[in-house]
Amino acid sequence: MAHELLNGLSSPEAKQVLALGTKLIVPSGTSLFRLGEPADRLFLTERGRIRLTLPMQVRGREEDVFVEERSPGQTVGWSALIPPYRFTLTATASLHEAEVLALPREALLGYFAANPAAGYKIALNLAVVMGHRLQLFQTMWVREMQRTLEVRSA
Amino acid sequence: MEMLLTGLCLSVFGVAIAAVAFGAATRSSRSSDATVQPQLPLVKAAIPARFFSDRAVASPTVPAVPTSQVPIEVLLLQIENHIRMEQAAAEVFIASPTQARLRSKTASPFVN
Repeated sequence: MAHELLNGLSSPEAKQVLALGTKLIVPSGTSLFRLGEPADRLFLTERGRIRLTLPMQVRGREEDVFVEERSPGQTVGWSALIPPYRFTLTATASLHEAEVLALPREALLGYFAANPAAGYKIALNLAVVMGHRLQLFQTMWVREMQRTLEVRSA
Repeated sequence: MEMLLTGLCLSVFGVAIAAVAFGAATRSSRSSDATVQPQLPLVKAAIPARFFSDRAVASPTVPAVPTSQVPIEVLLLQIENHIRMEQAAAEVFIASPTQARLRSKTASPFVN
C-alpha cells in the first residue's frame, strides 16, 4: 500500500513510520472522529472509504452533508498536526467497513525530531494534501459565488 | 310474538346506535374543520379540472405544494451528487486552470 503521506521516504523510513501506528477497523457507518473532538491521531486509509461530512441544517434538521471521500492510500485527520488540534469534519466509514492506521501525534513528532530528513518529506507531503484541499475548496467556493452572482443578476 | 318484539327492539337499538355514530362522525369533522390550518399560499391549479375539453374552465384554487416536498434522503443524495460533480469540476480546474473552467456548468440537477 502506497501512502501519499510517505511519498519519497525510503522503505526503512516508511516502515518505521508505519510501525508507530495502530490498525483500526471502522465498521460501516461508524464514525472515526467527529467534528470538534480533540485531534491527537492522524489516519492513513488502508482499506475501504472514509466519508468526510459537515453538519448542515436541512429543513430544520441537522444532517451530516457529504464533503469529501478518502480512499486507500489517502490521509485523514491532519488536524492532528495542525493547531488547535481539533477535528473540523466528521469522518465515517462508507458503505463497507474501513481499515485505517492511526498514527499518534506525539509518536510522529518524536519521530520527526529524531529523523528530521524523513520528517521534512512527510511535512512536504502533508502540505501537498492540505494545499490540494485548499485549492479544491477555494475553486468550489468561487464557482458557487459565480453561480450566486448569475442568479442575482438574472 | 316474543321473537317479533325482540327483533323490533334490536332494530330500534341498531338504528339508535347508527344515529349516534353518524352524529359523532359529523361533529368531529366539523370541529376538525374549525382547527387552525397552516396558511398555505393559494395558486392556480396547474391541471384543468376537466380532461379533453376545449372550453375555458374557471381555474379553481388549490393549496400550493412546496417544491421542498422531495424526501430528505433524496435531497441529501442530490446535495452529495452536486458536491461530487463540483469537486470533479474543481479538479479539472486545478489540473489546468483557466477562467472558463471556473464558470463551466455541471449537469447537477441541484442547481439546474
